[in-house]
Amino acid sequence: MTDVTDVTVTATATTQTTATTRGSTTTGDRTMPLLEGRNLRKTYRLGRTNTVNALRGVDVAIEAGEMVAIIGPSGSGKSTLMHLLGLLHGPDLNHGPRPELSFAGQPMVDLGEGERTRIRAREMGFVFQDFNLVPTLTALENVGLACDYAGVRGEPARQAALAALALVGLEERAGHRPAELSGGEQQRVALARSLVNRPRLILADEPTGNLDSERSAEILALLRRSNLAEGQTIVLVTHDAEVAAACDRVIRMRDGRIQPAASPVPAAETLVAGDRLLATA
Amino acid sequence: MRDLGRRKLRTTLTILGITIGIWALVVFGSMANKINALVEGGSTYYEGKVSVSDASGSAGGFAVAPMSLSVADEILAIDGVAVVMPDVTMLMDAEGASMSMSLPPMIAGSLAGADEGRETFPLNYAQGRALTPDDEGSSVTVLGADLARQYAVGVGDTFTIRGVEFQVVGVLEPTLTAPDQTAMVPLQAAQELFVASLPPMIRESIDPATIATTLTVYPADGVDPEVVADRIEARVAGVTTMTGKDFDEQIGSATAIFNAILIGIALISLVVGGLSVVNTMAMSIAERTREIGIKRAIGGSRRRIVRELVTEAGLIGFIGGAIGLALGALVVVLANEAGRPSGNVLFELTTGTAVTAVLFSTILGAIAGFLPAIHAARLDPVAALRYG
Repeated sequence: MTDVTDVTVTATATTQTTATTRGSTTTGDRTMPLLEGRNLRKTYRLGRTNTVNALRGVDVAIEAGEMVAIIGPSGSGKSTLMHLLGLLHGPDLNHGPRPELSFAGQPMVDLGEGERTRIRAREMGFVFQDFNLVPTLTALENVGLACDYAGVRGEPARQAALAALALVGLEERAGHRPAELSGGEQQRVALARSLVNRPRLILADEPTGNLDSERSAEILALLRRSNLAEGQTIVLVTHDAEVAAACDRVIRMRDGRIQPAASPVPAAETLVAGDRLLATA
Repeated sequence: MRDLGRRKLRTTLTILGITIGIWALVVFGSMANKINALVEGGSTYYEGKVSVSDASGSAGGFAVAPMSLSVADEILAIDGVAVVMPDVTMLMDAEGASMSMSLPPMIAGSLAGADEGRETFPLNYAQGRALTPDDEGSSVTVLGADLARQYAVGVGDTFTIRGVEFQVVGVLEPTLTAPDQTAMVPLQAAQELFVASLPPMIRESIDPATIATTLTVYPADGVDPEVVADRIEARVAGVTTMTGKDFDEQIGSATAIFNAILIGIALISLVVGGLSVVNTMAMSIAERTREIGIKRAIGGSRRRIVRELVTEAGLIGFIGGAIGLALGALVVVLANEAGRPSGNVLFELTTGTAVTAVLFSTILGAIAGFLPAIHAARLDPVAALRYG
């Protein structure tokens, strides 16, 4: 595998836009969390009459440089929380105390769709359970798309995309389409896409959910490496207790609320079994 | 753009729909162009002069009944008339014209130089020379571009009209109107041909040198042809007049209706083509919901999504338009070549028509893609990601 520091030198030049805002999280003596949410609620409508209270008022803080796992059974609201933190959805504003969400010290709740999209493109990286690559684009083009959205184009974008693919050990496969890649490889391309703009925050929704344990370990190692090498903050949602155990901290969710931190992390078997039970119910 | 290739069949069908629409627009548009050129030519021809013919019979502005040249003297005496030029025009085919969309081949005899320089209709010579007053009494002819091409004759060749051999001394450049189908001969030759076509009983009693089928009247400088026409009709018995204004009123309005019908047909087929682009884009976007979700999630703006999809739809329109233009041009060329021997050159494809057709189909495609694109860009990225 390519040496990490070697690659990052190339990438730095192309991602100055994100670099300029870095370090602005400190105000005075106190270090603010990278992400801070209060009173986060989200209700989804299912059909005409049914509603689902996915989040029932959550307070959460993620420190810069942390690698945090959000775990919980299906329907516990962990994905919903991630969508809120990733600015994919806004929190509910009605029926309760006003929600607050700050990212890098900036309030997010009242931002318009365009501004949220811009922050997603430049400051965040996303990894999903089913890889979610654009099927008609090659690995290189998929990674390059994220550069494009962040305002980096042409040769600098190509170089950054190649460097990101090298980081995940796929520079040889740059010209292949997703259909020509294995699941593990596809997820590494998705990881490269999330890393290419060197965002402050990586949000990963079940990144190992469709992978065997060997590939899962690979992805996890790559995430941890960029967390250590780049100081990137990583929030990942997972079912897998082993994955959760590899993180610095675990946020446990149940019924749309965060469980007290003192609760012990359940063994992998129970967690998976519990989920299956819920899924079939 | 690669997304177009992914749904080959449907994209192909949509492009085909546009192709047919543009094909129709090109073919019908070319037909309208040709008709307009004919009418334009006629309008130019009749401008600034008065055509006088016998009131007993005329067809499409071309007189068929002979009139005595003594009428010319009567007209010349009228106030405001500068020159009266006798012409003998008749169908080249003695049996009469077959049904035809375009102008039939004609014979036109006139006295060279009799217009005294007042004729403004431009005639250019591709080969040879114009007729001169010295040609009177000899059997020489100047052929229109279509006739020369159709019979493959040039200067120095012999051209047979109604059994009489004529020496070709000149060939005209194309005018896109009547002269292309005309053999111009000296007045005397035309008078003799005309009389020869009459029934024997009548033929005996007519001196060919005293007849004309049309008298072209050139008003004096600054005199309105309409005024001259009114005076002629008032003072000379048994004649009818035709001016540029009459021509525009009679033929022009009929052409406008015809044009409207042709363009209407083409537009209807394009609306159908446009709806098919809307359908293709809507389907294509539904299929790509998830992909759009991915792009939105990783930071693709709504504007970008709309731009990508509208460009794609515009490209469908452009490809359909280009193919339609190519097929339309092919039909125009083949039909013109096939029709040339019988004088049925029905189409004229202009650069303007070609550019308009492709531009129109591209814009139509882009507009048709716009609504589905807006819809796609407004999708909730999370819901779109879960889709399919």
